[in-house]
Amino acid sequence: MSHSLYRSEDVSLVQLYLPTESVRPVMLALGELSTIHFKDLNKDVVTFHRSFVREIRLLDEAERQLRYLHSEIALNSIEIPEHHLPTNYEFTLETTAIEDIIEKISRLELRVRQLVESSRSLNANYLQQMEYSNVLSKVDAFFAKSTNAHNPFDINADSGSMMVGEDDATAPLIENALELGTTGSFNSEDTNARTSVSLDFVTGIIPSVKFQFLERILWRTLRGNLYIYQTRADESVIHGSEDVEEKTVFLVFAHGTQILSRIRRISESLGATLFSVDEDSSIRTGQVQQINGNISDIFAVLENTRSALYTELAFIAGHISSWESILHKDKTVYQAMNLFSYDQNHKCLIAEGWCPTANLPLVQKTLRDVSDLVDSQAPSILNIIRTKETPPTYFRVNKFTEAFQSLIDSYGVATYREVNHGIVAIVTFPFLFAIMFGDLGHGAIMAAVALMFIMNEKSLAAKKDMDEILGMIFYGRYMVLLMGLFSMYVGFIYNDLFSKPMSLFTSRWAWPVKSEDTNARAIQTGTYPIGIDPAWHSADNNLLFMNSYKMKVSVVIGVIHMTYCLFLSLSNYRFFKRKLDIYAVFLPSLIFLEAIFGYLVITIIYKWGVDWKGNDWQPPSLLNMLILMFLSPGKIEEPLFRGQKQLQIILVLAALICIPWLLCAKPYLLWREHRQQEVRYLSVNDSQNVDEEALLDAENEEPQEEGFDFGEIIIHQVIHTIEFCLGCISHTASYLRLWALSLAHNQLSSVLWNMTLANAFQMTGVVGSIFIVILFAFWFIVTCLVLVAMEGTSAMLHSLRLHWVEGMSKHFEGEGYAFTPFTFLQSAAE
Amino acid sequence: MSGYSVLLVGFLTALLCVVFYYFAPKGSNTNTWQMTLILTFSCCYILWAITYLAQLHPLESPTRVLE
Repeated sequence: MSHSLYRSEDVSLVQLYLPTESVRPVMLALGELSTIHFKDLNKDVVTFHRSFVREIRLLDEAERQLRYLHSEIALNSIEIPEHHLPTNYEFTLETTAIEDIIEKISRLELRVRQLVESSRSLNANYLQQMEYSNVLSKVDAFFAKSTNAHNPFDINADSGSMMVGEDDATAPLIENALELGTTGSFNSEDTNARTSVSLDFVTGIIPSVKFQFLERILWRTLRGNLYIYQTRADESVIHGSEDVEEKTVFLVFAHGTQILSRIRRISESLGATLFSVDEDSSIRTGQVQQINGNISDIFAVLENTRSALYTELAFIAGHISSWESILHKDKTVYQAMNLFSYDQNHKCLIAEGWCPTANLPLVQKTLRDVSDLVDSQAPSILNIIRTKETPPTYFRVNKFTEAFQSLIDSYGVATYREVNHGIVAIVTFPFLFAIMFGDLGHGAIMAAVALMFIMNEKSLAAKKDMDEILGMIFYGRYMVLLMGLFSMYVGFIYNDLFSKPMSLFTSRWAWPVKSEDTNARAIQTGTYPIGIDPAWHSADNNLLFMNSYKMKVSVVIGVIHMTYCLFLSLSNYRFFKRKLDIYAVFLPSLIFLEAIFGYLVITIIYKWGVDWKGNDWQPPSLLNMLILMFLSPGKIEEPLFRGQKQLQIILVLAALICIPWLLCAKPYLLWREHRQQEVRYLSVNDSQNVDEEALLDAENEEPQEEGFDFGEIIIHQVIHTIEFCLGCISHTASYLRLWALSLAHNQLSSVLWNMTLANAFQMTGVVGSIFIVILFAFWFIVTCLVLVAMEGTSAMLHSLRLHWVEGMSKHFEGEGYAFTPFTFLQSAAE
Repeated sequence: MSGYSVLLVGFLTALLCVVFYYFAPKGSNTNTWQMTLILTFSCCYILWAITYLAQLHPLESPTRVLE
């Protein structure tokens, strides 16, 4: 029997006996098949006590190391090529020994860490030396200039600004110092003109933003006795460090050891780095040379380290993705192996799992192939077990049905082998969407976008880093295509092309040539063959007709959809051989639904078929008729057909009978069945001494398989009855959203046209042409963004709701659990 | 063009459904093809029929204000 999507597939319970040496190969092969859902045989064992915890921990550690390496590679902007190794298990078995790989990874990680560490410390050292050399050169320049100048304050601006005391007290101080020759450490080259004045100084480098604080604090501390020289540091120092910030070289002159130490402490607290620079220029030159030597040495070592790191990382980058996939596979294998039980006697692992019956031959063949490949002594055995346990629900989907099935599965996982709403949703979802979205032009845009995705699906599927929203559209590309195509059809029926009608056939409404009153009324000449007559589009009372038409479309399609879903439940009852449910649940539900809303649909269609105007009859209001049918049955205000009164009374009675029928029949019949079973048990055990207590116990005892909880059955049935009966009414009204959204879409589209291109077409001349271009761009962008994307999403959501709530509530049980196979394919979530 | 065309097209649609039930593409997806095609034809017919019926004997005529 060929499998279909109508019901979930037949799944059988299998037992695998795997000898220890062939476990890994078999698991690698099974992971590629992705067809076995393993059961947990060690449910009562805590995660930490499972057999393969140690191996998993090792693999976790290796994965962590790989992640670190990955980040380092990314930091150094090395590209990681996709690994093109074949993924089949034969290749994996041949080429890898997992222990070697783990060892190699940890070795490499250690080495990379060392290189990164040393590179970092070297860099810091290098920067510091650069700063030092910078400070030296700047100070050198300052002293050089100052000795050449007669007046220290003549130093021109390009060597930096000078901070002179606000009061000129400092100037005379220095001059005095110069004259008096007080002790200090300022020695001038030119000993002729002045005596040696020694002033101690502190020099260093500080971020420029902090320099102002430094100045101010020093000014306050030294009470104005401040002479500070600052200049911007070189570009090389600024960009050398990680954080690009401006630095300032400063030079503070002061007198007195206490003051100097205070200055030192203040600058260090503000984050300055202080360097010792000698006053003597020859010593300074020596220092400069030494520093330059240091710098070039460090630079060479740093370059070496960096290039070593780069080569190491480049080598790793070539292998990292294949290592990651191998580690992932092994980790998955060990996690699955934790679920198995170990047989001491036969030295093999026993695994239990679910496998779709149709795939069993493939699994057996794979086991045989692996046994041959590995040359193991004992073969791997597959046993099929009969069980009463419920298997998981498995749907065999392809790229077309996948999106629809996942929409339905999001609501709940279907019970094993119940009718799958997904196969119905392939058509009904786009169709209900189209009724809300119906526009030939917008549908065409949607279909074109979907076609573009479909035609490039091979290349797009290979991309790993698709945007989230684009990824979602790509996943549902066939769904969007169907939505677009159905929208084109419905748009053709609604006669809407970007809110404009098409006159493919001649309009069957003739406008009068002349008319007496200002309101011209068209005359009917027939019926437009396919779709809505284009004459309605330009009419003033367009909405009057369209609203009535679309509301009736919604109600008719809604009732048909609900009836169809109800019949799906009949299909379920017949498949599971639940005759009781057919007569106690399905039949009253059907009669209730059809007696009220089926009757409404029939009257709608009947009313359409009668020529009221031609025969000069009064057309009755259907809504009033329905309300009156229930409020005062038997009273007809405006007759629709002969015999209506009797028919309506019968229908009302039928609907009313259905409520207690639905409510009571099933619990009563189940209770009677249970009683009969009990009587049978008792009569088997019947002996002379049966005391009342034993009888009572037997009554309250639950039978082996299912507990008969009468209370729960009654409650369940009450809820179901209320839900169904009230639901009928509310769901039918809920289908009116089909009308509401289609009206909104139509009006929005029409307003957009009138506000943009209609205005543009009214302008003439060159100005008109330019405006047409501009307004067309605006119209097209708003069409695509608002009308197609936004309205499309909204209509899609409403169509989905109609499926989940109105459709699936009529038949869906949803008590299954999903089939999650053991697989190496990483899900989109990872 | 009358109400009978609705019935005629309905009959033709039913015929189409039966034909495609037997001539759906064979393979593992036959059942899916059958359901999809039959549902498509039915839905398209229903919408067309409702639209046609609504315009057979309309109770309203289009009006326009003459300027």
